[in-house]
Amino acid sequence: MDEEPERAKRWEGGYERTWEVLKEDESGSLTATVEEILYQSKKRRVIKSHEQVRLGMMRHLYFVIDCSRSMDDQDLKPNRLTSTLKLMETFVDEYFDQNPISQVGIIITKNKRAEKLTELSGNPKKHIDALKKAVDTPCVGEPSLYNALSLALNNLKHMPGHTSREILIILSSLTTCDPANIYELITTLKSLKVRVSVIGLSAEVRVCTVLTRETGGSYHVILDESHFKELLMLHVKPPPASSSSECSLIRMGFPQHTVASLSDQDAKPSFSMSHLDSSSGAGLSLGGYFCPQCHAKYTELPVECKVCGLTLVSAPHLARSFHHLFPLQAFLESPTEKLLKNRFCQACQRELEDKTPVEKHTWSQTTEKASNRRMTLKTAEKNGEPSNHNSGDALLLIW
Amino acid sequence: MKLNIDGLLVYFPYDYIYPEQYSYMLELKRTLDAKGHGVLEMPSGTGKTISLLSLIVAYQRAFPLEVTKLIYCSRTVPEIEKVVEELRKLMEFYAKETEEVNNFLALALSSRKNLCIHPEEFDAVGRQVPLPAGVYNLDDLKDLGRRKGWCPYYLARYSILHANIVVYSYHYLLDPKIADLVSKELAKKSVVVFDEAHNIGKDLQRLWLSGMSEPFLAFPEGLKKDFKMSKRLEKLLFSTDNVCIDSMSVNITRRTLDRCQNNVDTLQNTIQRIKETDAAKLREEYRRLVEGLKEANVARETDVYLANPVLPDEILKEAVPGSIRTAEHFVGFLRRFLEYLKSRLRVQHVVQESAPQFLKDIFDKVCIDRKPLRFCAERLQSLLRTLEITDISDFSAVTLISNFATLVSTYSQGFTIIIEPFEDRTPTIANPVLHFSCMDPSIAIKPVFQRFQSVIITSGTLSPVDIYPRILDFRPVTMASFTMTLARTCLCPLIVGRGNDQVALSSKFETREDFAVIRNYGNLLLEMSAVVPDGIVAFFTSYVYMENIVASWYEQGILENIQRNKLIFIETQDAAETSMALEKYQEACENGRGAILLSVARGKVSEGIDFVHHFGRAVIMFGVPYVYTQSRILKARLEYLRDQFQIRENDFLTFDAMRHAAQCVGRAIRGKTDYGLMIFADKRYARADKRGKLPRWIQEHINDGSLNLTVDEAVQLSKHFLRQMAQPFSQVDQLGLSLLTLEQLESPEMLKKIAQIAHQT
Repeated sequence: MDEEPERAKRWEGGYERTWEVLKEDESGSLTATVEEILYQSKKRRVIKSHEQVRLGMMRHLYFVIDCSRSMDDQDLKPNRLTSTLKLMETFVDEYFDQNPISQVGIIITKNKRAEKLTELSGNPKKHIDALKKAVDTPCVGEPSLYNALSLALNNLKHMPGHTSREILIILSSLTTCDPANIYELITTLKSLKVRVSVIGLSAEVRVCTVLTRETGGSYHVILDESHFKELLMLHVKPPPASSSSECSLIRMGFPQHTVASLSDQDAKPSFSMSHLDSSSGAGLSLGGYFCPQCHAKYTELPVECKVCGLTLVSAPHLARSFHHLFPLQAFLESPTEKLLKNRFCQACQRELEDKTPVEKHTWSQTTEKASNRRMTLKTAEKNGEPSNHNSGDALLLIW
Repeated sequence: MKLNIDGLLVYFPYDYIYPEQYSYMLELKRTLDAKGHGVLEMPSGTGKTISLLSLIVAYQRAFPLEVTKLIYCSRTVPEIEKVVEELRKLMEFYAKETEEVNNFLALALSSRKNLCIHPEEFDAVGRQVPLPAGVYNLDDLKDLGRRKGWCPYYLARYSILHANIVVYSYHYLLDPKIADLVSKELAKKSVVVFDEAHNIGKDLQRLWLSGMSEPFLAFPEGLKKDFKMSKRLEKLLFSTDNVCIDSMSVNITRRTLDRCQNNVDTLQNTIQRIKETDAAKLREEYRRLVEGLKEANVARETDVYLANPVLPDEILKEAVPGSIRTAEHFVGFLRRFLEYLKSRLRVQHVVQESAPQFLKDIFDKVCIDRKPLRFCAERLQSLLRTLEITDISDFSAVTLISNFATLVSTYSQGFTIIIEPFEDRTPTIANPVLHFSCMDPSIAIKPVFQRFQSVIITSGTLSPVDIYPRILDFRPVTMASFTMTLARTCLCPLIVGRGNDQVALSSKFETREDFAVIRNYGNLLLEMSAVVPDGIVAFFTSYVYMENIVASWYEQGILENIQRNKLIFIETQDAAETSMALEKYQEACENGRGAILLSVARGKVSEGIDFVHHFGRAVIMFGVPYVYTQSRILKARLEYLRDQFQIRENDFLTFDAMRHAAQCVGRAIRGKTDYGLMIFADKRYARADKRGKLPRWIQEHINDGSLNLTVDEAVQLSKHFLRQMAQPFSQVDQLGLSLLTLEQLESPEMLKKIAQIAHQT
């Protein structure tokens, strides 16, 4: 346990009663600890992810960040808000890395109100900037789930049917101050197929349980910071699309990056369309991506063309979105007893231990973590599996 | 699934079984085999009811001659309905598995008020018609009654005689007058189960006061008022034993006597009238009385009836004494007795005396002998029958008085008489009350134990189990306490003994007004309201204490701070107000606003209302709920317990306080998927003698680390606990540990484990 690198520092954690943890282990199989249960459910999830499901690849996700009084709590260091925002930054990065053709918006709720921090957009920079600025927001009052949800809903309900509509709430407070009956809103959310997931920072709140159950989302409560991160990263993967969501063909443009050489006399620096609305940043540049339809210039991809509304992506973006559809095969568990000679992890050279439920396979736990999604594509290829081998049933929602 | 319980084939209508259910059934089987009584404690939410039903039904089928009937006594109508539903499920399972038509008849019985379909006309048709086999709840009976035009109440009352399973309220078995009418003829080879046997106290006093004729009557208006006056008595009431005690106790106020006076006048007039019209009838009665109550005696000896404790054995062998044999003489006798009681109520100071003292006094003053007094109740019944008075409700007062006369002259021990000139709270207003209170609960329940071959007392909180047999004076063959096997520790008892400033927290008398203690209690609630989601229930030791504390919190601004986290609701003595508060409390929990319910340890909320899941994520017990020890009735009872049963006062008080505390905190956990914090905020809980009296299933989760915590530490632990419990938890996680399939159950190691679950005492 100590060797886990991501665990918070001892002195940063709460009161710990190490002797109790020990006691529980000794009493053995009679009382399974919560950790064991968590581990089991994680494993089930991994196995399940290899079933053939339809995934919604184009995602529209609204974050709701609770900025109420309880975010000042210092059980996450230095406090809940700072820690959350920092994790969110990494999440946004990761999210766009894995879902390049998706969009995100951020809403904060405090003082019984909800306000938009950023609009729904596919530009990670903008969100990260906003998140960085948000560190200084004072945490006051109670959050309002109702206001936040209805704000997000008003924006999401205009999104086309083939995209997923998701809301992810980071809720620290145990209470919500609502202007109207939230259960009516839940039915509306359900009818509009909005998936609401909640990550609680303190404990299980009934209304969130109902909310997530009804809308088909997930509800998790964090144990500590590393668990928090893990839970957030669960949302990086696109959720399974409901069978009723429509499929449609989408027109996409694949612009090439053209750099006008300085020697070329005709080349003139021009404004990028994406800089039109934001005053920040150098407006003029020489090269860029030009929309194949209307020749509007953009400095970065993916983006939706401001002029003709075409989705502009690059081929690697699409390929990256793809790998969710063809996940790596599950590890085969082989009991350690079988491995008489070579009891070392092939990847990290750690010795494999007996009995601990975590280390049942030939890869040790550390390796399992290290081999994150980025490696999956490579490994799959290395294993000699053609990556479209099992694509038969996986219906692509976009083209 | 089909189980093999010690050689008995038991059909169990679910696919999974908890290990403790299996071992519960084993114990139960043993009790039935031995034809003895049993005390079984198993936490609520672990499927007691279905275990009981499936085992006993299987037993009835296997040995139809050994056990002929199951009498299942529960507390409230919803609980009765729940039992019937479980039973229906079981029967359907039987029908499906065995594919044969079984001729089981099971029915629920409730008061006529609940079963009436023609409120305006009296209709007793249906008394003699046997019900077809099946399972009937109250609605089914009403439906049937409506279709056939029979009175469902009488139909049910008649049918319980030949039904295989009867589900009804305790009153029908314990309250002497009702039992006499309803349960008298139930077969000896019945198994009686008292479910939720720990607290059947509160609603029974009402019954007794209404003249014990609840099945027949609506509540008489005047007695309602009497009831209110004696309401303050409620807080003195004890539990299981309470029903027994209540059913044998009498309170007499001036109003009762006035009404009684009217009754006697009416009686006299009626006698006068009858004498003129039908003198033969009175002569006939006289003749019958000379012969005595021989018939009743014959009946009892041949063991047809359940004995009535108000009708002691000796009376049956004798004839009614001459002094009260004629109707006029009896009325005169009643008048004399009434005048005497009136004079006794004119006291200026508190009097406490025993039954023999009272008898001597009555003999000295008005020359009433002991013997006629003893026949009073029986004589009155006979007179009422002779006079053919249909509206017995008007005579409840005189019935009460005559019962009192019989009881006081029959039992020289186990009763005490206390006459108080005024209520403690209002010493200036004269409101004399004569309490004739029963000290010995075993008197009322004795006939039940004697008559029926097996009596099972079961509940979630009976600890310590050995004290019940002592108080109720019987010898159980099995006494067992089962714990909950849990896949995760879903309850977290914490004993908070100190505030953050190290001030010892306690509700004991000396520190009860202490500012620092009150502040720290407030602090505890405030901090908890910030970390516990949804609902918190806080219990105080008494209404007065709660009022003081809440007022003081208000002054200190603590309430305002709490309200930023959660809404606050308060239980009051008014039932309507309380139920309103409860409703709003539940709404606030449901909507995510979060709420705190402040209530009182012996109040309505603590006894009858479950706070499942989010309705009670934490229960905070402020102080140890000792009874109000200055009460005279309580003192008398304690003295009696010490003299008769060698139970020390302190032991009994602690036992009583702890069972109420357990009762309160137990409200939060109603099953294995539920979870909740139990916070005992008093340093006295940390002592071994207090802790040891909590039920086993709570006790085993209190470890040394959770004793005498400060508020801060408790908050940290709660935070951790609540996060752990919020992790996803599905049925699959329970399988094999706390939930078993048939194969898992039959594995040898599991059987070994199960054998350890029951803790024999």
